Amino acid sequence: MFFGKVATLAAVGVVSAAAQTLSPADFFETKVRPVLAASCSVCHNPKLKTAGLDLSSATGFRQGSPSGPLVSKEEPERSKLLEVLRYQGAVKMPPTGKLPDQQIADIAAWVKLGAPWPDTAASVIDPKKSGQHEFTAEERAFWSFQPVKDYAIPTVKNGAWPKGPIDHFILAKLEEKGLKPAPPSDKLALLRRATFDLTGLPPTPREIDDFLSDPSPDAFASVVDRLLSSPRYGERWGRHWLDVARYADSTGADEDVRYPYAWRYRDYVIDAFNRDLPYNQFLIEQLAGDLLPAERPGEVNRRGIVGTGFLAVGLKLLAEQDKPKMVYDMVDEQLDATSRAFLGLTVTCARCHDHKFDPIPTRDYYSLASIFASTKSLGKIEPITSELYFAPLVPKDVYERYERHQERIKNKDREIEHVVTTEATAFTAGLAPRLAEYMIAAFDYERRPRKDESAGNFAASRKLDGSILQRWIDYLRSSDDVRPHLEPWAHAIRQGAPAVRDSAELYQKEFQKTLANWRQKIDEWGQKMAEAAAQRKALPDKPQFQAGDNRFFSEVALCVTPDTLEKQPTTCGPFALLPSAENELFSQASREKLRELRAARDDLKKSSPPEPDMACGVAEGTPVEQHVFIRGNPSNPADAVPKQFLQIIAGEHQTPITQGSGRLELAKWLADPKNPLTARVMVNRIWQYHFGEGLVRTPNNLGKLGERPTHPELLDYLAKRFIEDGWSIKKMHRLLMLSSAYQMSSRITKEQIDGDPTNRLFSRFNRRRLDVEEIRDGLLAIDGSIDLTTGGTLQTGFGTDGENSQARLSMDPSTSKRRTVYLPLRRSNLPSLLNLFDFGDATTPSEGRVSTNVAPQALFMMNSKFIADRSRQLARKLEAAEPSDRGRIVYAYEWLLDRKPSEQEIQELLEYVRSARKIAAQSPGLNWTAWQSLCRILISSNEFIYVN
Amino acid sequence: MSINEKPLISRRAALRQACCGFGMLGLTGLLSQLSGAEPPNPLVPRPPHFPARAKRVIFLFMHGGPSSVDTFDHKPGLAKYDGKPLPFKRPLTFAEGKVGGLMKSPWEFRPYGQSGIEVSDLFPHIGSCIDDICTLRSVVGDSVAHGGASLQLHTGSNTFTRPAMGSWTLYGLGSENQNLPGFITIKPTLAHGGAKNWSSAFLPTPYQGTALGNAGLRARDLAEPIENLVSNVTPDFQRFELDMLQKMNRRHALAGEYDPELEGRIQAFELAFRMQTIAPEALDIGKESDATKKLYGLDREETYDFGWQCLLARRFAERGVRFIQCTHSTGKVQWDQHTELFRIHTSNAREVDLPIAGLLKDLKARGMLKDTLVLWGGEFGRTPVAQEGDGRDHNPYGYTMWMAGGGVKGGFTYGATDEFGYYAVEDRMHLHDLHATILHLMGLDHTKLTYPYSGRNFRLTDVAGNVAHKILA
Repeated sequence: MFFGKVATLAAVGVVSAAAQTLSPADFFETKVRPVLAASCSVCHNPKLKTAGLDLSSATGFRQGSPSGPLVSKEEPERSKLLEVLRYQGAVKMPPTGKLPDQQIADIAAWVKLGAPWPDTAASVIDPKKSGQHEFTAEERAFWSFQPVKDYAIPTVKNGAWPKGPIDHFILAKLEEKGLKPAPPSDKLALLRRATFDLTGLPPTPREIDDFLSDPSPDAFASVVDRLLSSPRYGERWGRHWLDVARYADSTGADEDVRYPYAWRYRDYVIDAFNRDLPYNQFLIEQLAGDLLPAERPGEVNRRGIVGTGFLAVGLKLLAEQDKPKMVYDMVDEQLDATSRAFLGLTVTCARCHDHKFDPIPTRDYYSLASIFASTKSLGKIEPITSELYFAPLVPKDVYERYERHQERIKNKDREIEHVVTTEATAFTAGLAPRLAEYMIAAFDYERRPRKDESAGNFAASRKLDGSILQRWIDYLRSSDDVRPHLEPWAHAIRQGAPAVRDSAELYQKEFQKTLANWRQKIDEWGQKMAEAAAQRKALPDKPQFQAGDNRFFSEVALCVTPDTLEKQPTTCGPFALLPSAENELFSQASREKLRELRAARDDLKKSSPPEPDMACGVAEGTPVEQHVFIRGNPSNPADAVPKQFLQIIAGEHQTPITQGSGRLELAKWLADPKNPLTARVMVNRIWQYHFGEGLVRTPNNLGKLGERPTHPELLDYLAKRFIEDGWSIKKMHRLLMLSSAYQMSSRITKEQIDGDPTNRLFSRFNRRRLDVEEIRDGLLAIDGSIDLTTGGTLQTGFGTDGENSQARLSMDPSTSKRRTVYLPLRRSNLPSLLNLFDFGDATTPSEGRVSTNVAPQALFMMNSKFIADRSRQLARKLEAAEPSDRGRIVYAYEWLLDRKPSEQEIQELLEYVRSARKIAAQSPGLNWTAWQSLCRILISSNEFIYVN
Repeated sequence: MSINEKPLISRRAALRQACCGFGMLGLTGLLSQLSGAEPPNPLVPRPPHFPARAKRVIFLFMHGGPSSVDTFDHKPGLAKYDGKPLPFKRPLTFAEGKVGGLMKSPWEFRPYGQSGIEVSDLFPHIGSCIDDICTLRSVVGDSVAHGGASLQLHTGSNTFTRPAMGSWTLYGLGSENQNLPGFITIKPTLAHGGAKNWSSAFLPTPYQGTALGNAGLRARDLAEPIENLVSNVTPDFQRFELDMLQKMNRRHALAGEYDPELEGRIQAFELAFRMQTIAPEALDIGKESDATKKLYGLDREETYDFGWQCLLARRFAERGVRFIQCTHSTGKVQWDQHTELFRIHTSNAREVDLPIAGLLKDLKARGMLKDTLVLWGGEFGRTPVAQEGDGRDHNPYGYTMWMAGGGVKGGFTYGATDEFGYYAVEDRMHLHDLHATILHLMGLDHTKLTYPYSGRNFRLTDVAGNVAHKILA
């Protein structure tokens, strides 16, 4: 105590200096409020109000606790608050340990100042109480917030190179640096590049022939048109968008609950690309499609609802126990995905404080958060694992009719369960008076003189039931498990027969007492059922027996799974009614009742309206009045904020949204041609997927810490074109791919390495490694085993699985021949093949795939079953197609590398095949042929895995 | 040069060029022709910020949350007030209902070793090593549910996907063995975040953990613990095939000169070829002596699995793997005893007690304990109050983990909980502090081990973390 005081006094000395330099309000905001927020208001908040005290607001603080005021104006040093914090009295707070002396001293100094607590928390969030943020001139002038400009197309010296405006922009920069663009790519390389680019698959030999033999100047344009009209195009470019939309088929994080209908969103995305849905419409549907009018009266906007899957399929922690945190983490996740995907801004940095680099005040974060907080994304919030919300794809009345019908079926199930449970408890009650006898018999049987005597005989001699006695014997037989509730029994056995008898009696007495209580609960349940039925309400669920209260009873009398006779229990105690016993042991009345109930239930099932299609989507929720949360903590609310958009773009004087969630308004604001970011962000992504790098190399961050555009004029030109062309993505593909820039060779020269080492000027095409989908799908396509079925789901079931069940793994890609985009992804455990080849982790909007080059990838090529299977299949195809070795080598090259081999290559491989045959002949048991080996070599080659 | 002065791998540009992987060995000549901004091999060993006490970590993760008040944090108060209500308000718990009064520990505690630190009868073998152990009795996390708690223990964040601590150490220090993964997790759980607990998140892929099987599989059933190590042809034939491939790749690379990625991939195949012999040797416990196998409990069914995990951990540690995790998690309930604490904690402890003591003794005998940090614990502890009659709920507000070796004091107790073991009250050690301390032991300043992503610098410890200097030997 003495030392404590000295330390405190010393610390006060330190503080008074700080208290003198800061205004009282600032002193409170910087020194006191953070401590109260972090250490006190976790329990003392308006919701929990532990000990009747709320320390999260000025009002709560002034109200004090039921036992009196917290501070004394007259004798501040003797304030209750300080006594508690200093651990001087009976109440010591916080219970997690005394605060550091410095913090206590700060609070003491604040109390001495009269404990000033400004009514609004605005100052910590925003120095301007008006709520308006003052942006600096520099912030306002930042490039990406400026309107898209109309730049003149630059003139170039080499007028022959450009095929269109894009090339003028590219060439002008190159000429500025004295560089020349790379020569055009050869036709074969260009076809392979374009085909993988637009479809994720290689060209077929037929397509190669057609292109090579087409001398017209429009030959490549026809190729692009052909590829864009292929359904394979949507599968490839839809996957790019799914990367941005952090798509997966389960929640990930904690319980990894399935999104059973996420696949509809995936199919919607693929379809949107294939039908060239205008991007502005695509954007609106993904944020607010449920709010768009239906195409026909009496229906819902099915496609729009499915589109909102964008908001629904993110990472979620459904078992978070801090429920407000759970909800606002989800809101944050949705806002993060939305702002990075569509705006290219990291808005969620402003959750706890004003954005440190971009002009996004915390108030703006909560203005936007209020939109998602007013949106329904969860079903029931449960004590442990909360439920997901699933959106019906039928009108409300149709869905409710279906739900009511299901409730009726459930009610019948409950009635059935009641009959069964009543019989089961009666059965146990009938046996309970003989429990001691059974236990003693089990003891005696283990010590029987005639070892060959069966339990049945033994039981008959005592007028007991043989099978029940056998179950007792098994139950009581010692196991490796320690069971404290059987310790007295084990102890009695060690002491001998008289002790065993006494012990058995005790067990029986205790058992009967518990049974009586349990029966009473079951009876009460029956009464409540009857009452509910009379009032036509949903029937109550069966009461639960808390096993830990009497483990002996629960093990002896109950079955481990619900003891309805239709669900097979895992284990049943010796006095529990076995499911097989219904016909023998149930009363006539019960059996008849069950027959009736089951018939009624089956009729209900038959007459059920069809199960409506569902989607993982969102709907309108209850509109919230959103407050700023101090340091992101929902239990520390400050000022209310209007529902509106980012002020740096939408301006400081907006008309706040007052109706509904505001999602549709947000979507329309984003899709507005005047929004300076939306079109730039999307054309930059399209450019990046074609060219390997964006014009802005941080596609999700066009803010201050993102990179600046290498070609700002070109970016604006494309953004403008995009809007003028009706936000058509396919038109943008044509524009980019028909440029000279796209058709350059990827060969790097010395001049380029010196003048443009990282290709920021696009002086050549970027060579790229195939991504994992292209490797898998491409090989399956080449060997002919690919299954090109579109859409639908390969995931089954709902909810999640046992904690270490292998069912928690994502589907093994080798078990399907479908395109990779259709393989379901359990977010917590992605397929190892996808991890190996840089798929990413599907939790945040992707900036584009990275490409690593590591030994485990080489091991996959050398040793995996998948590659061995492909080699085998290809070898079979070669052997069937062509008898001569030379011919087979030519085919292998054409199929895998999309070109004819040189004479030197043919000679080398002929020699290779000869030697391989020889080695194989000398290695008995080698289940691997020369042709299989050759195919694996070509599959593993750099030439296959890189696109020039 | 310390790693904070110049990021080894600069963001996206480097990510794209992170061709290096394992495959950039011997490529420095080629690299130097380029702009000079090329990243070196991301796994090459690097000096720490300051001299390290621990060179590597073995983390024994007890999935589900072993009860501290029944293992390493003796609370006589629980026996005294058995059945009485908790005298203060319960904080946010996992299962709000079904909670009873205080529940005394069903196990006896007894002092062990010179230090006389008490350990319960669940862990007699670990007790016998207590003089090498530093118990941390005041660990605090922020989540009462497994998912958030496990993610926070492994990555520092209970909300977002972040790199695992193993990934951070690999990023900071590289690996001392280029023929094995630098971060290995043996039989990890598929639950509660699954692979997010050993993911490199936004750090480059070479820093991700490599999983050997998973907790749902028995050790004996793991035919191929590391995928794709076994060839379907003889080594001679494979070499013959590889020679042809490399000949083609070299010719192709000539046409694509100035592209280090192509040469990098050639090297990756050579390294993969070597790994096929080196990695299986590391996994092969056949040559260990019978005495060693017995030390780890490989002669007994109940200790076989975790013993195998611990023995592999030692073999990996010997070979310079930076971060090794052994997860104890059974198919069903792990250490998560909301009910039947006595029965299931007993069987859990029987599976790990002997192997863990074996690992500590073996490391010590081989002179490896001094620079190997062994960390033990779960994602939280359990409440001093009963749940569902004979279980305990989750308690992240003050629980025990322990460390051994790696430059921490043995026979030492750090921090304390209240009278009942609910809250940490002395030398509170938040998981951020635990992470800061682990990095410190490895010679890394947790405030300087940063990675730029999404517009800012990220750390394992977010914006928090204090090193527990008192535990340093």
